[in-house]
This record gives sequence, structure tokens and C-alpha cells, in this order.
Amino acid sequence: MSETTQFRVLDFDCPTCASTVERALSNVEGVESVEVHYTTGRVEINYDDVRADPDTFAQTIENQGYTPQTA
Amino acid sequence: MNTQSAKRYYRKQRKAIVTATSGLLYGGGWSLGYLTSLDTASAVILILAAIIGGYDIAKTAYHEVTNRTLGIKTLVTFAAVGAILIGEYWEAAAVVFLFSLGSYLEGRTMRKTRNALQELLEMTPETATVRRDGKQQEVPAREVEEDEVVIVKPGEKIPVDGDVVDGESAVNQAPVTGESAPVHKADGDEVYAGTVNQEGALEICTTGSGSDTTLERIIRRVEKAQEAQSPTESLIDRFAKYYTPSVIVLAIGAYAVTQNAILSLTLLVIGCPGALVIGPPVSIVSAIGNAARSGVFMKGGEHLERASKIDLVAFDKTGTLTKGETTVADVEGFGTDDGEVLGLAATAEKKSEHHLADAIIDAAHEHSRAATDGGRTVMDESDTNQTARGATMESIPDPDDFEVVFGKGVVAHYDGQEIIVGNRALLDDRGIDVPEAIADYVRGREASGATTVHVVRDGTVIGVIAMRDELREAAPGVVAALQDAGIETVMLTGDNERTAAAVAEEVGIDEYRAELLPEDKQTVIEDLQGDGHVVAMVGDGINDAPSLATADVGIAMGAAGTDTAIETADMALMADDLERIPYAVTLSKATRWNVLENVGLAVLTVIVLLAGVLTSYVTLATGMLVHEASVLAVILNGMRLLRY
Repeated sequence: MSETTQFRVLDFDCPTCASTVERALSNVEGVESVEVHYTTGRVEINYDDVRADPDTFAQTIENQGYTPQTA
Repeated sequence: MNTQSAKRYYRKQRKAIVTATSGLLYGGGWSLGYLTSLDTASAVILILAAIIGGYDIAKTAYHEVTNRTLGIKTLVTFAAVGAILIGEYWEAAAVVFLFSLGSYLEGRTMRKTRNALQELLEMTPETATVRRDGKQQEVPAREVEEDEVVIVKPGEKIPVDGDVVDGESAVNQAPVTGESAPVHKADGDEVYAGTVNQEGALEICTTGSGSDTTLERIIRRVEKAQEAQSPTESLIDRFAKYYTPSVIVLAIGAYAVTQNAILSLTLLVIGCPGALVIGPPVSIVSAIGNAARSGVFMKGGEHLERASKIDLVAFDKTGTLTKGETTVADVEGFGTDDGEVLGLAATAEKKSEHHLADAIIDAAHEHSRAATDGGRTVMDESDTNQTARGATMESIPDPDDFEVVFGKGVVAHYDGQEIIVGNRALLDDRGIDVPEAIADYVRGREASGATTVHVVRDGTVIGVIAMRDELREAAPGVVAALQDAGIETVMLTGDNERTAAAVAEEVGIDEYRAELLPEDKQTVIEDLQGDGHVVAMVGDGINDAPSLATADVGIAMGAAGTDTAIETADMALMADDLERIPYAVTLSKATRWNVLENVGLAVLTVIVLLAGVLTSYVTLATGMLVHEASVLAVILNGMRLLRY
């Protein structure tokens, strides 16, 4: 079933940072769609709760060099 | 401080610590090289400064490249690595340190912009006092269920959305509606989470808690609006996609032609499109955030940009310029008793849902009550004739049949009589003669701004009812403020010419269009647009929906708590506060200027730096310094709109 989760990232430096995180998250197994907004720092992830492990999302954001906060 | 909290502190302050360390090493390395002959030691320290400061940057650059995006961190990494490779250690350390410092400061300032709205949410209390099983209990506000009774003492913040079931108080609704003056709340009135109870204790029956409150819904919508790109932002985003790769090609080309690695690396650094891509969104996010905190919801950058071009504001009259609470001012019988005129009119209008019908029925109730109590009435005090039609609240009799003539009035039958309550057009349609004395009376009442209806029994005019809808106190000031800002104003109304003229004069509005049916208002808007105007239409969002949709910018009033108004309008005033309109229009114009200033500053910086590089005045480090300064300048400039 499709689920949605949100994070807030307050340390994006420019819109490219948001694109980098968006691409990295969309490559995570089971992620159906990702919206990352530079201006508000909002990250919204739609995922398949059978295939995806939501615990990996925050780690993926951290791996790109940013600090996720639970929204 | 234990290990755990030390780790947490380091994680939180990592960027600041890394920047400071890199800066100290950079300063130390530079001093050593400048003051002593320890060149190798200086080089090692400078390389260390570049590595420590650049590790996170390079890591993100790696991800940017592997994710096929090309951002500023990739360019900075290329420049720093390139500088080390050609032995320009000081430049490498300077670029990395200045970039780290710039992005640290930038992050701090941007966080303020991003957090501006969240602060509103933090104002809602964490706990609520509920009455459960006859006892008062303190529970987390998010766990309050619908229909539970919450008790809020004077001075406390209201933790849930709900309806007042007991008590009376003044409530400061500024966080939700932006109104500065407190609003009186009593039994049955709606209150919102996040607002402040100022005077008496209130008992509130919960309608929404947690994320299902008006304040949270508004903030979620505002955030979505902040993310909706304006045409300028989309244009710059598209431009930036090609710009960064072009800079890399230019740097490689410059190296191929000149064999000057420093020139080529400096081009990489100054070519970063930072200020250009950051400027417009910061301005727009700040403006939308400021508007939201002042009780104006702007649906997105696109609407904000369009609003900045408004040169004409069209106002609906009833409920917008006026309070929308029509009351009967006078009843005048001609050959028939005033009370009977009112009673017959109330019977004819009993099944109508028109606001004028409500006023007539209310007046009939009031009259019957006053007559029974022997007190004052809305009419002549000498009038004590108690008609059967107005005897009690329930006793306004039903008409035998009833027909609405759209935009003109009603025709009903009662007790074998035909009763018409309507305007002159309806009487003309039906060939009913209006004696000159009555026409004169009507003209006089209308010239004073009242709306009149004729009451006709069996083809004879037996009376006239004059009604008034009080002007909002703020209306003349708002119209004057818009005119001062160079914006034309037009009033649209279904009222007749004379009433419209009187109201327009009282408000000080430039122009009015009278006797309009709802669809006519839409046509007027189209005509005004045809004349080259960028038109904003202000209405209540329900019966004005077609004209709100047609106007370049539709502004709905009183939208707090009504999702439909926010859905249909481009801009919504959370309260019925007309004074927000000049603010919203001038804020839009200021935002447009702010975006232009930011774009101008960014482009100018790149041009000046480019000229500096080509004439060898700008080095890698000064290029980065100016670049980061320009990014900070556009953010700070955009943030001015938070305090507009």
C-alpha cells in the first residue's frame, strides 16, 4: 500500500541541493514519488510500504550531506 | 557534558565547527607563509584547511555528480582541487573557507525565512484542559477528540478549533486571521486553535485538534503556495540548468586557449549562479510568509507576480464594501397601514432566501414583538396596528404560492390577493403604475443610499420598504489608500443607479456599475480587462465565484475556516478585513521590485566579476568572497519582505 512521509531539511544551500536529494531518494527501493522543495525545505516521499524501508530515507538524505528533521 | 550530548552538540554545530577550524587553519597557514620562510609548513596547513573545510563540500559534489545534477559545490570542489594541483594552496584554502562561511551564514538566514511560518504553529499550546467524566483533566492538545469540551481560562491560548458552548470573551485571532483587534466570542461562535483568549473563561466544544485545525491547514496551504514557482523562478531555473554546464565549458575553453589554469578556475568560481537562483524564491517565500502572518493567503508566486501588476480593483458592494447585514430602515404605507405593508411583504418573502427577504422578515418579527410589548418598533411609533400577518415569530403565514423573479423580486398569492414585492423593473414588466408621489419618495430614499422595494397588492402599490446595509468603517480609507497607490477602483452592485451612486459617493470610489446580475459582473470584469486593465475582484467568494475566477486576481473575503474560498480565489483574506487589500497589493508590488533587485544584483555581480577576471583584478579568493557576499545580499534583501 502507498504511504507518505515528510521531512524538513533546513540546510539546503541552493536549488541544486534539493535536486540532488530528490534524485537520491527517488533511487531508493520502493519509493514511488518524491517532492523536494528548496524554498521551504520540505521533503515529501510517497512509497510502497511493502518494498520500501522508511528508516533508510533519513539516512539517504544524510548521505547527501544534509540534515533531515522529522516534519 | 556527557559523550552522548557532546556528540549531539557536534552534529548540530558541525557546519560552524568545520568552518571555524578551516578558517583558523587558513589564517595560521597564511600568516606562517607571509611572516616566515616556513613555506612547506604553510602549504601543509593551507592544504589541511582546504581538506577539512572541503570534505563535506566534496562529498556533496560527489553525490551531485553521481545524481547527474551540477551545482555550486561541484564547481567549488573543481576549483579547490585545481588550485591545489597547480600549487595555489592559499587560493584553495581561501575558496573553501569563504564558501563554507558563506553557506553557513546563508543557511542561518534561510532557516529564519523557512521557520517564519512554523513559529505560528509553535504558538499553539501543547496541552488542553478537557472535561472528562465530570472532572477537568490536562491532556496533550493533539489527543483531544471531536465533541469534547475544552476549558480555556483568560490569558490562555486556545488549543483546539471549536464552538463556544459557555462563557464570553474577547479573543485575539491575529495568528489565524491577522486581525489586530480582538473579536468578541460568545455562545455558538467559532474559535480557532492558536488564538488567545483575553478576558473571560470559555468552554469550547472541539471540532478539530492536532493537524486538523484551521491554523495547521492554512500553514500547509501557505507552504504549498510558497513552493509553487512564479514565472520568473521557472525561467531562472531553466536558465540555471544550462548556465552551470556552460560555465564549465567556458572554463575548459579558456584553459585551452590561454593555458592559464588560474583564470580558468576563477571562471568556475564566479560563474556559480548562486544569487540568481536563490534571489527570486527567497523574495517570494518571504512575501507569502509575511502575508500569511498578516491574514492574507496568497496562492503562489504566479498569483503574487500577477497581483503586482494590478491597476484596477473591482469591489462587490454587498458584504464587501458593506457589512452584508441588511436591515429595514423605513416602511412607508401609501393608503395602507405601515404594519400591514410590512406584514404582507413578509408573507410574500417568507420562502425567499434573498438577503433583502431576510431583512423584511426580521423587521416583521421585530415589529410584532415590539407591538406586543408596547415598545418601540422599526417604524413609526404611532403604528400599533397589529396585523394578523405579523403577530408572532411563527405566525407570518405561508403564501399560497410563491415565485422568484430573478434579480427583480417575488410574486406571491395569499388569502386571494396577489402580492408583489420588487423593484421598479418588476413593476414595469407587469404594467403596474407607480404614482408620482411614490416614485418621488423612492427617489429620495435611494438618493440617500437605501435600497427600496415596492409592495403591491392586487396591482396597486401600497407601500415602499427602504433597507440599508451599513458600510464597513474601513471602506472609505481602503478605497483612498488604493487610489493613493495609483490604482483605480470600481464598485459592482445589483442595486439601482441612485442607490449605487449614493454608496459610491459615500465610499469615495471612482466608478460604479449598477443594476448588475451576477453574470453581468463577470462581463464587466471582462470589459475592464478588454480596456487593458489588470483587474483584481474583491468578493465574498461564493456568489461572486464567476467574477472572482474571471478577474486577473480574485480576492475572497473571510476565508478562515472555509476551504472553498481558499480553493477558488487567488488571494484570500482570512478575516473580513478590507484594510488588508491595499497591504496585499502594495506587498505584491514590493515583491516584484525585490525580485528585480535581486536578479539585477546577481547579474551585475557576475558581469563585474567577469570583467575583473578578464582584466586580472579578481582572483579565486576575491571571486568567491564577492560571490558569497552577493548570495547573502540577495537573501537579506528578500528577507526584508518578512517585515514589510
